[in-house]
Amino acid sequence: MHDAEDLLLIKRFSNGDTSAFGELVLKYQDKIYNLCRHMLGNPQDAEDAAQEVFLKAFQALPRFQPEASLYTWLYRIATNTCIDFKRKPVWESLFGGPGEEDRLIHDRASDAPSPEKLHQSRQTGEALQEGLGKLSPKLRAIIILKELEELSYEEIAETLDISMGTVKSRIARAREDLQKIMKKFREQNS
Amino acid sequence: MSCQKTKLIPAYLDEELQGGERAALETHVQGCAQCGTALKDMRSLRAAFASTERHPAPYGFATRVMALTRAMEAPSPGPLPLWERIKRGWFAPFVVGFAEAAVLIVVITVGILAGRVMTNSNPAMPAMNIASSLSIDMFDPTPPGSLGGAYLAMLEVGNEK
Repeated sequence: MHDAEDLLLIKRFSNGDTSAFGELVLKYQDKIYNLCRHMLGNPQDAEDAAQEVFLKAFQALPRFQPEASLYTWLYRIATNTCIDFKRKPVWESLFGGPGEEDRLIHDRASDAPSPEKLHQSRQTGEALQEGLGKLSPKLRAIIILKELEELSYEEIAETLDISMGTVKSRIARAREDLQKIMKKFREQNS
Repeated sequence: MSCQKTKLIPAYLDEELQGGERAALETHVQGCAQCGTALKDMRSLRAAFASTERHPAPYGFATRVMALTRAMEAPSPGPLPLWERIKRGWFAPFVVGFAEAAVLIVVITVGILAGRVMTNSNPAMPAMNIASSLSIDMFDPTPPGSLGGAYLAMLEVGNEK
């Protein structure tokens, strides 16, 4: 799917208007940072990786083929950057547990849940974080693209440059592994 | 025996099944405990992801990125002067700057001069004196104040016995 706004930004950039790239960063910074954050597990690594993604995009944009969609192209750079990222062992500094700044649990004051639901939600969040941390980087990437970034199978295939069959089998494998790890985590912590 | 249709559950959940296939699976799930459990587990996993916090980019992120892109775009300083290119070439370790060469020359000169001063303060000995200075005869077997005399006396006492 081609975003008309993206095509216009690319055209402006190719005509020498570098401010167009700034608009592109503003448009996609949250998505890319969120992906890096869930891939790498801590804010500093995520910011460094996200910065690297956009710098690579800046250098490669003149060669971008307009037949592809810009956001899957950015996601591909982001996924590869995170898989290759070597700042820290992946998920060494998990942000989990009560009281931590970076929790996986959604707890806006506007829809404050009951204590029981909050506890259950927190346990689920911790189990999920444990599970994601134990997946291989490639399976982690694909499940994040599917469940958090809500890409379709086709978009994931384009992002990761793999076949639809491989997308389906990896997603199924990632879910299966994730459920096993989460189940084990819950049993150990119940 | 596992149900073969269980492997269609992920695609069903992801709305990747086509109309007829989707309807058929929905009917099947209602009557299959295994597929029903698989679907329930997968929905539970999806709900866990749905409750995951989304992280916006840090404040000032785009500004920092653009500053880095401007640094990447900064023009290169142009070709280096010949001497700078020589200094940075593969033979750079063998090239000594003028200042280093001057210091080296001064150090060597001072060393030579110092050596001459030291040798001049100790005039060379005639050959005969050298030979006699190396002879064993010049050594006193019992220098004054040493125990050598007592030692020799002891030997003589022993011999007398």
